[in-house]
Amino acid sequence: MLTVEHVSKAFAGVQALDDVNVEIGVNEVVGLVGENGAGKSTLMRILAGVYSPDHGSLKLDGAPVFLRSPREANLNGIGIVFQEQSLLLNLTVGENIYLGQEAEFTRLGLINRRRLNAAALRQLDKVEVDIDPRTRTSDLTFAERQMVELAKALALEERTERHLVILLDEPTSVLEQHDIDILFARVRALKRRASFVFVSHRLDEILELSDRIYVMKDGRVVGQMQAGTTTVPQLHQMMVGRDRHAEYYRESRQRSPREEIVMEARGLSVKGAYREVDFVLRKGEVLGIAGVVGSGREELTRTLFGFVPQTSGTLQIDGHEVRLAVPSQAADHGVGYIPRERRTEGLVLSLPISLNVTLSSLPVNRITGAISLSRERQLAKSWVDKLRIRTPNVEALCLNLSGGNQQKVVLAKWMNARAHILIFDHPTRGLDVGAKEEVYELIRDLSEEGAAIVLTADTLEETIGLCHSILVMRDGQVTARFDASPGRKPSQVDLIRHMV
Amino acid sequence: MEPQIGPPSADPPTPQIRSSERRDRNSKRSLHRLKPYAPFFALVVLSLLIGAMNPRFFEFNNAIRIANSAAIPLVLALGMTFIIVLGSIDLSVEGVLAIGAVVISLLVRNNGNSLDLGWFGVVLAILACGAIGCLNGAIHVGLRIPSFMVTLGMWFIGVGVATLVLGGSTVRVLDQGIRSLALERFLDFPIAVWVALGALGITWVIERQTRIGRYIYAIGGGEDLAALSGIPVKRVKIIVFTIAGTLFGLGGLLAAAQLGQGNALIGSGRLFSTVTAVVVGGTALTGGEGGVLNTLVGVLIMAVLGNGMVLLGISPDLQQGVQGVLIIVAVALSLDRARLKIVK
Amino acid sequence: MTPTQITAKWRPAVGTVRAAVPILLLLGLVTLIGALRPSFLTADTLLVVMADTATLFILAAGITFVVMLGGIDLSIQAVASLSSVIVAVMLSRVGYWAFPATLLVGFITGAFSGIVHVWLRIPSFIVTLATSGLVAAAALLLSQERSITIGEAGRAYLSWITGRPFGMPSVIMIGALVACVGIWLQRYTPFGRYSTAIGAGEAATWASGVKVNRQKVIAYSLSAGLAALAGILLAGRLSSGSPTLANELLLPAIAAVVVGGTSITGGAGGIGRTVVGALIISVVRVGMTFVGVDIFAQQIVFGTVLILAVAVTIDRTKILIVK
Repeated sequence: MLTVEHVSKAFAGVQALDDVNVEIGVNEVVGLVGENGAGKSTLMRILAGVYSPDHGSLKLDGAPVFLRSPREANLNGIGIVFQEQSLLLNLTVGENIYLGQEAEFTRLGLINRRRLNAAALRQLDKVEVDIDPRTRTSDLTFAERQMVELAKALALEERTERHLVILLDEPTSVLEQHDIDILFARVRALKRRASFVFVSHRLDEILELSDRIYVMKDGRVVGQMQAGTTTVPQLHQMMVGRDRHAEYYRESRQRSPREEIVMEARGLSVKGAYREVDFVLRKGEVLGIAGVVGSGREELTRTLFGFVPQTSGTLQIDGHEVRLAVPSQAADHGVGYIPRERRTEGLVLSLPISLNVTLSSLPVNRITGAISLSRERQLAKSWVDKLRIRTPNVEALCLNLSGGNQQKVVLAKWMNARAHILIFDHPTRGLDVGAKEEVYELIRDLSEEGAAIVLTADTLEETIGLCHSILVMRDGQVTARFDASPGRKPSQVDLIRHMV
Repeated sequence: MEPQIGPPSADPPTPQIRSSERRDRNSKRSLHRLKPYAPFFALVVLSLLIGAMNPRFFEFNNAIRIANSAAIPLVLALGMTFIIVLGSIDLSVEGVLAIGAVVISLLVRNNGNSLDLGWFGVVLAILACGAIGCLNGAIHVGLRIPSFMVTLGMWFIGVGVATLVLGGSTVRVLDQGIRSLALERFLDFPIAVWVALGALGITWVIERQTRIGRYIYAIGGGEDLAALSGIPVKRVKIIVFTIAGTLFGLGGLLAAAQLGQGNALIGSGRLFSTVTAVVVGGTALTGGEGGVLNTLVGVLIMAVLGNGMVLLGISPDLQQGVQGVLIIVAVALSLDRARLKIVK
Repeated sequence: MTPTQITAKWRPAVGTVRAAVPILLLLGLVTLIGALRPSFLTADTLLVVMADTATLFILAAGITFVVMLGGIDLSIQAVASLSSVIVAVMLSRVGYWAFPATLLVGFITGAFSGIVHVWLRIPSFIVTLATSGLVAAAALLLSQERSITIGEAGRAYLSWITGRPFGMPSVIMIGALVACVGIWLQRYTPFGRYSTAIGAGEAATWASGVKVNRQKVIAYSLSAGLAALAGILLAGRLSSGSPTLANELLLPAIAAVVVGGTSITGGAGGIGRTVVGALIISVVRVGMTFVGVDIFAQQIVFGTVLILAVAVTIDRTKILIVK
């Protein structure tokens, strides 16, 4: 009924989807699984009309459709249920369900609220949920908002002749088991009126709810199976694929870490994100944190640099107990942060390399208090040489550098500041293969020189290849620890098993 | 339509609610429910306090005085309310009000020229002010300049035009019909008060019953989402600024009637008190919250405060200072700070 | 929109076409007015223009520090007015001590605005609007709503403002001093560097471990402190202080910053640009009078110029949603 044919999509040189073919039939639930970065979100957003494919097409009942906006997707019967991003909290439930569609209830500019709420009630009834459409959306629980989003998607029935396709984007991550059961019951009941595409990192749920499953990896569809005849381990296996050559991650350079402990966490928790995280980080060690969306690893990473201070538990840096309430405190303790959002948090793009390199450690003349501009340029030049940053000069704006070189400038900044603990947050995101390898080399250099590194990587491969030890998290807790010394590296399946 | 640069981050930035949090939310709900009524309670408490210290506060004549002093502020604040709900700001109040007052003064029977257009002149003037508001909105939306910058410039253009047209002096309004707005009464209250109430009624209908009213809140609550849902954001914004301009012009009419003259500085100081009234009433600067009834409470709080300061013998000079404190307290209490990462 | 290239060398306003525009504009205006009214180009007139510019520039310089961070300060005119009142009231009683006291009051006011802004997370234009109310109230109370003339006793202390060392009005030299210190602060001190970085990329500056909040408080303190200085100079030149003395100066001060080429979104521009901007505004003001343009039309011109200047200099890539 709805087919995706040879769809490809790239963002800034990164291939998010590569020749993807998917079919969604009438009255079925199609599950979509894959690691972070596999392309699930991109595919969903293309179906929802948020993005357009670079190549390939979407077809409805054999005829091509061009979804240039979510509205056009809606008119073609496709609705998406985000976790909570498509509801306006300051409006009522009824207003949200018909957001943008009020025209049918309006005469002479005045909205007939009674009719709007009655219609909203009808949609809510389809989902069998007992919510007054006049309720303010912010007063609802997450589970209730989920239902409202479902009702909103179902409201499309009345606006289109097409079969409905409802896209469920990680609907269960914020729900309690009880609510999940209710959601699944509703979806099963609604199958006769709509098809569903269901994305989740919880494979048991995917198997429970789906009829058919597509497995994605690195932007491609690597497998399609019937849910009834598949097991979780089989899905694991398909999701990870072959392990890459060990030298890609310079494993031969991996040395044992030193004895000295530079960072230690005990019972570290942030309410609502993760809890009871313990770990020890030594000089020269690369500690990896693995986990999917919602596992808590992102928040843990941010805690270590003072963005999200812990609500309980202790964190020690070099033997001193600390509570990092702001990033400047982390930096003062010798921690550096290589952020995921390189363009907004890593560098000040409109400023030149030299200013970015010294931002965390300005070369100040002790007597005058002034910045020594010549020294600054010198430092910048030496880092450009040492890290082989490709640029005509140090006055070039970071805006004009390639992604890989930008990342090197971020690293140079912390190396100039002599940070001895480095938090790497998705460091190779958006980089081409060559740039990635350079980053791996640098990580090896740094760890050899004694820096301690916490790595939240884009892929399991990277985590396994680069790290000395690995923490695996799921739903806010540490579920496994692995020793990843060369020769004893865990496999991706070992990790996935504890992640999903 | 590509809202992000780069591959979508795999994780939506959502908080994870566990069952314990859910219990907390339910108990907090009752406290949360009361929050929107806080300004109203503040008004009541304030009134009682002042009345306790000086019982003359409760006399009927005093109530009339309060209502009268609140008329113009209410009209102005109503215009400002929708703009703030959008998430923008309009600093041109004083300028537009001045133009309204001056143009009206010159078009109706006055001591400066021989024109005598009566209510027709009033309508023209108010429409002109609406046009200025429209211009504000158009420049803001078309050139993508922050509203505070556009309206800051328009503020001075307005005062400038008003000054220019009058050659720096003032002109007296001789049209008794206009003056009756301030001088005549209906059911003991000056007509200006009824005009303000009328404006309140109309804006209330706009806010609650019209499509555009809902759109204003949608844009204030989440502009990108509103745009994706097909709401004509640009058009709504321009309309809102036009409404504001019209109401500021109406304020100019009432001011001219009250003062009996038009001059370029007739609006001096009004910007501050208008913004304060809206914010104190509970309409959040971040947009999407509050409304005209909130503004009514806010205006009354300010009026009661001014009245109270007189009754208690406090120097009126302090009024601006008190307003300054009020605005900080009100904004601090209303903003959901956890969500605002970067505040400029 | 090409971002300003901030280079390590001291280079006044070169680099991109946009940076050169204000200087060309200034030269063009002077030439134009000079052509229409040659008496404009005499040394005396030009000195008057520059003296006028000095106080305006000092006000605008303060705002520049705040704008570089990405904020705005709407309280400077109130602070300047209050300062004139404090000077007028205190001069005859405490002599020279009145000046540092006034500056201190200015700094404290700015610090208050800055602290409330960062601590309570209130947008700068609201905080400074509120502060202006508090300060205006203080000025009204202190002056009892009157303009206060500085008597003979007090005037002795004003000679440093009204004097003409080397034949040049001392305010020009004070203004030049402020300009030099300001430019030095901006280019060569951590404070200046951090301000630029915060304006150009606040998230990255946070994530680089910079104490952003501290920088903001310093900037607002500096802004109000300079406003206080401007108020002192005004009191000196007019030999009086009043609670509304500087009220007319808010718009020209902001206009000076923007017309000079400093981006209202922050991160680009600076004190040097504001010097040019202030000169342009002054030249326009004095020039308009010279050429015979109605003094009442000047407000209109300013408002229009402001909007146009912002439209040209704003960096739209930084703001996704314009509110």
